[in-house]
Amino acid sequence: MIEELLYSSPSLTNTLIFFGLGASLLMMVLGFVTYAILAERKVMGFMQLRIGPNRVGGPFGLLQTVADVLKLLLKEDTIPKAADRPLFMLAPVIAFAPAFMVLAVIPFSESLRFSDIGIGLLYYIAISGISTIGVLMGGWASNNKYALLGGMRSAAQMISYEVPLVMSVIGVILLTGSLNLIQIVEAQENIAFLFVQPLAFVIFMIASVAELNRTPFDLPEAESELVAGYHVEYSGFRWAFFMLTEYVYLFAMASITTILFLGGWNPVPYLEFIPGIIWFALKFSVVVFFLIWLRATLPRMRADQLMSFGWKVLLPLALLNIFISAVIKEIWF
Amino acid sequence: MNGELILFFVLALVAIGSGILMLNLTKVVHMVIALVFTFLSIAGLYVMLSAEFVAFVQVLIYSGAITIIMLFGIMLTRHDDKTETKIGVPRMILVLTGIVAFFVVMFFQINDLSFGEQAADLHVDNTEKIGIALYSKYVIPFELTSVLLLVALVGAIILAKRDDEDKGAEDNE
Repeated sequence: MIEELLYSSPSLTNTLIFFGLGASLLMMVLGFVTYAILAERKVMGFMQLRIGPNRVGGPFGLLQTVADVLKLLLKEDTIPKAADRPLFMLAPVIAFAPAFMVLAVIPFSESLRFSDIGIGLLYYIAISGISTIGVLMGGWASNNKYALLGGMRSAAQMISYEVPLVMSVIGVILLTGSLNLIQIVEAQENIAFLFVQPLAFVIFMIASVAELNRTPFDLPEAESELVAGYHVEYSGFRWAFFMLTEYVYLFAMASITTILFLGGWNPVPYLEFIPGIIWFALKFSVVVFFLIWLRATLPRMRADQLMSFGWKVLLPLALLNIFISAVIKEIWF
Repeated sequence: MNGELILFFVLALVAIGSGILMLNLTKVVHMVIALVFTFLSIAGLYVMLSAEFVAFVQVLIYSGAITIIMLFGIMLTRHDDKTETKIGVPRMILVLTGIVAFFVVMFFQINDLSFGEQAADLHVDNTEKIGIALYSKYVIPFELTSVLLLVALVGAIILAKRDDEDKGAEDNE
């Protein structure tokens, strides 16, 4: 159905249908964020021999995040007197809008997808770079030294890890011969790129954790040294937007990992009777769990280690991977 | 009046508006943010011309990388700089006549301009075609550009390093 819509001529009804689809995707993502936060707290709780949230909404704390969000909405919205008012208000918007925009190119299954553009992967990488400006703006507009330090660190980190991230997917692009995410998934019908490009997968995972600003790379919001990093002056709804950005990127990054390396909606052999969307959801959940697991296990890195690791280890490895992929493609494909 | 025209007007308005804002804002960081909006709306115009590849490379390089470098540069130097300019009335009138003359000339030229027949299938596999053209027809200019960029990169590193060594030598003295 969506395929017909994508290739039909544009009209007002189509616009309304796509608007509705976009709104429902937003609701889906908000639902994911609600339960991803709960899952993160629960999983980390169990890993640290705690129970985690267990009071609000039954024994599993199912309504804990909902209560938290309600609290944030009712909270007083403060803007510091010395802050740069227009930028302070604009920063959460600029940070969040790209996070949701990147979801437009992600194909969830053969039939559930919202676009079919030839440069899907480039779109994802380009648009997600804009969020950095929002973060840096938020840090600068707060007029607070911790916020500025956090914002600068975040921007430096996101810029330096974007390079190995992009370099690592070049192997996948070489083997597929396309930037279209749908064609990338279709190219993995027989074997997932995880097994063809193991080095690229490792580099991609490390760089994506750094892009998401999560432990062990959560220097921008290192509580022990920077209070809370770039969003230290934010409260209430604006703060919620920065948090939302972080978790929507978690959704997007886990989806893109599933698509690029785990074969998207393609089933595991002999289990073809399970529909594609469930395969996608399963693989996606494994990636999200892995990211939570990392967060509960690893300590934070030092800022100088982070930079030298990115430029001196990940980047040369990514370049090596491009070279190896080119050789493999020449010989086998 | 169709959707394409509305979209064009919105994007053009944002591009020009942010450009004017960039010139008229007083704080230097605000100027950079205005510049981001100009870059983004120009990327939108490229998408309307079926040049998605150029559009998103524009977003990646200009809105993403160049802006961040500019912001870093500003923050490392005089981040709370403000422009203070006073322009006299005669100069303003002179500039205004110049602008009007330029507009009139351009308007009539563009009105008479004809590009011949428009290509209709620009959107079909355009990324692939760019790649093929770049690596077959334009491979020598492409390689030369990459060498130029490499030289610039190495030069930047050497310049930065020499500065560091001088400092180290001074510290030792």
